[in-house]
Amino acid sequence: MGFKLTEEFKAKAEKICTQYPRRDAALIPLLLELQKETSYIAEEGMDYSRVKAVTTFYTMFNREPAGKYHLQVCRNISCHMAGAPGLLERLRKKLAIAEGETTKDGLFTLSCVECLGACGLAPVIQVNDKYFENLTAEKVDALLENLRHEL
Amino acid sequence: MPTLTIDGQTIEAAKGTTLLEAAQQLGIYIPRYCYHPNLSVSGNCRMCLVEVEKAPKLVTACSTEAAQGMAVLTASNKVKAARRDVLEFLLINHPLDCPICDQAGECGLQNYYMEYSLAKSRFNAADKVRRPKRRAVGPYLALDNERCILCTRCVRFCSEVTKTSELEVMERSDHSYIGLKEGTALDNGYSLNIADNCPVGAFTSRDFRFKQRVWFLKKTPTVCLGCATGCLIEAQHNENVIYRLTPRPNAETNTWLCDYGRMTYKAVRAGDRLTKGVIKNGQIDLKPALREAAARMDEARRSAAVLGSPWLSVEDNAALARFAKDALRTENYCFDFNCGQGIKDGILINNDPAPNTSGVKPVKAACGGITLTELSRRIAAGRIKAVLMEARAAALIKDALKAAGPRLIVFAANTGEIPAGAYAALPYASYFETPGTFVNYQGLLRRTKPPVEAPEGVKPLWAVVNELASCSGTSLGLDSVEETLKGIYIK
Amino acid sequence: MENILLKDNVAGIEAYVACGGYKPLKKALGLKPAEVIEEVKKSNLRGRGGAGFPAGLKWSFIPKDSRGSRYLVCNADEGEPGTFKDRELMLKNPHALIEGMAIAGYAIGAGRGYIYIRGEFAAEAQLLEKALAAARSKNFIGKNILNSGFDFELSTHRGAGAYICGEETALLQSLEGYTGRPRLKPPFPAVKGLFGCPTVINNVETLAAVPAIIEKGGDWYASIGNGKSAGTKLFCVSGPVNKPGVYELPLGVTFRELLEKSCGGMKPGKKLKAVIPGGSSTPVLTAEEAWAVKLDYESLAASGSMLGSGAVIVIDESQCMVKLLEVLARFYHHESCGQCTPCREGCGWIEKILNRLEEGKGSAEDIDTLYSVADAMKDRTICPLADALALPVMSFVKKFRSEFSAHAAGKTCAGSQRIEVRE
Repeated sequence: MGFKLTEEFKAKAEKICTQYPRRDAALIPLLLELQKETSYIAEEGMDYSRVKAVTTFYTMFNREPAGKYHLQVCRNISCHMAGAPGLLERLRKKLAIAEGETTKDGLFTLSCVECLGACGLAPVIQVNDKYFENLTAEKVDALLENLRHEL
Repeated sequence: MPTLTIDGQTIEAAKGTTLLEAAQQLGIYIPRYCYHPNLSVSGNCRMCLVEVEKAPKLVTACSTEAAQGMAVLTASNKVKAARRDVLEFLLINHPLDCPICDQAGECGLQNYYMEYSLAKSRFNAADKVRRPKRRAVGPYLALDNERCILCTRCVRFCSEVTKTSELEVMERSDHSYIGLKEGTALDNGYSLNIADNCPVGAFTSRDFRFKQRVWFLKKTPTVCLGCATGCLIEAQHNENVIYRLTPRPNAETNTWLCDYGRMTYKAVRAGDRLTKGVIKNGQIDLKPALREAAARMDEARRSAAVLGSPWLSVEDNAALARFAKDALRTENYCFDFNCGQGIKDGILINNDPAPNTSGVKPVKAACGGITLTELSRRIAAGRIKAVLMEARAAALIKDALKAAGPRLIVFAANTGEIPAGAYAALPYASYFETPGTFVNYQGLLRRTKPPVEAPEGVKPLWAVVNELASCSGTSLGLDSVEETLKGIYIK
Repeated sequence: MENILLKDNVAGIEAYVACGGYKPLKKALGLKPAEVIEEVKKSNLRGRGGAGFPAGLKWSFIPKDSRGSRYLVCNADEGEPGTFKDRELMLKNPHALIEGMAIAGYAIGAGRGYIYIRGEFAAEAQLLEKALAAARSKNFIGKNILNSGFDFELSTHRGAGAYICGEETALLQSLEGYTGRPRLKPPFPAVKGLFGCPTVINNVETLAAVPAIIEKGGDWYASIGNGKSAGTKLFCVSGPVNKPGVYELPLGVTFRELLEKSCGGMKPGKKLKAVIPGGSSTPVLTAEEAWAVKLDYESLAASGSMLGSGAVIVIDESQCMVKLLEVLARFYHHESCGQCTPCREGCGWIEKILNRLEEGKGSAEDIDTLYSVADAMKDRTICPLADALALPVMSFVKKFRSEFSAHAAGKTCAGSQRIEVRE
């Protein structure tokens, strides 16, 4: 597989590395940066076992290509009490996919995640980097529509 | 030097001594999985939890330093309960495949379960977490992640000893497994130590697995002759067959053993093992072969040469020297070997591939002889008609041999060693079959102890030399191995 | 009383400075580092991340004679379920954190600081970076701060999704680019921390309180709150209350006051059943226990629970305790780093038992096993993650055993039905 780092990424990586006395400390920020470009961390691009260890330890690293919008539904206690199970069920039905799957059009990936640290405004889902809080059935439907039309 | 008590016994421990080590000094064994004396402490298995009076929680004996006035209990009810619990946790997701597991008999889980638990499982077997099952990882190892208890000895070995870091713990929680980057092999020259270090049946030796149940194995302490390092090893064998070599950890030379050294036992029963004589590529019985070899040496007499070998024991080199001086009465003999010795990889493997370069020196001191350069010169000049030597030593004079082409009469344990064009080859007993004295690169005396017997009719090299001499009518009087060392002074 | 931490309209540097911001830094730079530590010791400021260790004491553990680098790390890996105060604090008052860090860095002699922020807080990290740039442009961080000769460089570092990295040594591992598996202690980070150097790690809320302490004095701060529990605390209230959110109140405030005064009471039709007072890792309190309790370190410890991160999770009668515990067990099972045997194997075991009970397929024996597995995990691991599941399990089973028994007997309850999202 032709895995190649872009020049743009390399330049960014150099800058990030300067933040640490040891370059390898930048591994996690670099992988996050890389994922922004590639949507996932491909195993064939890994030079060391340690990179695989890190990408499989931290949950934010996707191991397969993700959809354009990664819907991450918090299912921890506060969101659970506020209706996360129903929210998840609704998304499953609307998107016709299960957790961990991506819609055929490549638009949405659905995941369950643990506490996102926004419990006061539960239930919460994170779409890529952005939080959507205090969700109701109506708001979630509107959110999906908005995302679809941002195509 | 803190003074403390462990199970009521008082001990004065050196500063920095851990509770586990201090207990060991008192003869108190604390069970452990992740602890290994030659690896960093990780403290993850929690098997070595002990009670320290006044401490709020049990502490890991492997990581807790002995301190003044500590009162440590290693067998209190609290400690016993903790051990039972840890074992229960380790076993819940462990497969039930002991009958087909090659670790059986030397398994840390089986042993500790018998000693510390014997509890009935409360875990639903259908709930067991499945992990990757057996697969080959590299040329020497098989890995079964389901049997792994994640003690990380293997990970630490690869990061701290070989510094190759192939292994990592992937994923997390009870999905954690030891893995390496997809498509890579675990082949760092020392990989079989991982099988030794693995306290359970996760890493097993592909060479050893299923060959023999470990409880049948007998153990003989001996020496690795894979290079000049001279690691102390244990040959494990049964019914005259060696099954594996493992290190005998010692402060002077080795904790580990390299993969190359571990495989040296294979030559003993290799398909090309020489048990008969060879004359001009044809195998014949030893007696006629000896007579033929003796005749050819006799023919050459003063223009015959004898070359010792850094691959042979002191005894066998001494016998060759006696042959040159007393049977052939030639001046063309050489016991002069030099090699820049030293550990080349920072671990164990020596610059000098031969085990006895240092051990030949006392033979030279006692018997004299010419230098290797001089012998090469004489051969190259065509002054030497026949050379008697050990097969691998031919490499040391290969240019001269190519230039002149004297008759070569070699001692060889395996036909693969015989240099092309040799006139005759004579079999001899390997040092897994006969005792021999060696001196390693540090100048330490190393004596092999034979775990197995030589194939029928195959004798120690010194005895073959003795017979060779008598074929030409000379009695060297080498009736015992002790006799060969007469007049040789080894420091 | 006036809020110390949560203030409105101070997010921008101009506004923050206009309110007297960064004066405490200037003041601190005029003191000796030891004097700054002394002031913080006097304030009785304790770690707001969960453990409640005295901050000044922690700073004083940095070996005086250590050579080479020292580090200050801010733990902004807010991940304890129920907790969302640091996020709010960083959004509303980022400069209090930055100033607090500059002061702490000066006090412990650290030239470099990192704010380790959980990976999901991407927007928050960006805003923090902007605030850092603003502070740098005014020489509040960087080289030769305010002509004092003190250099302190500071940047954010994002995690990538691992609850365990809120544990300080796991955080350090992660900051060094490794998997976040906690280290053995000793050595403690103050002696051997980030990159092997002496390091202090403090929570966002702890560090953000420092400027006010320097400004108004340790005695002033110590006078707020309830004895050894000094100062204000950010309480994050979630669950079926009228106004969930983050509230800054003096330590020692009663739960009743927090719920009724600050949060406007329970939502209509909801009756209080239980409270998890300090984040998901802390033992649950029954409604009766909760009504009476004061929210501070000592009072909550005396009630058998903990102040933790100040995350008050309110549970009403419609909820099934078995289901909620299953949700927590799933979380800890998912987040265990897998290093120590009892945690690695125990969290999953507990979740499986709870799955069975929840599905009505469990037995009475399962309840005892549940309790004893939790007991076998407790106090037996390198870090407290195992305890963080064990303690809730033991308290849930002890205090709500009848619900567990009902499940074991095959009865389902209203609360275990699927919870619908609001229409």
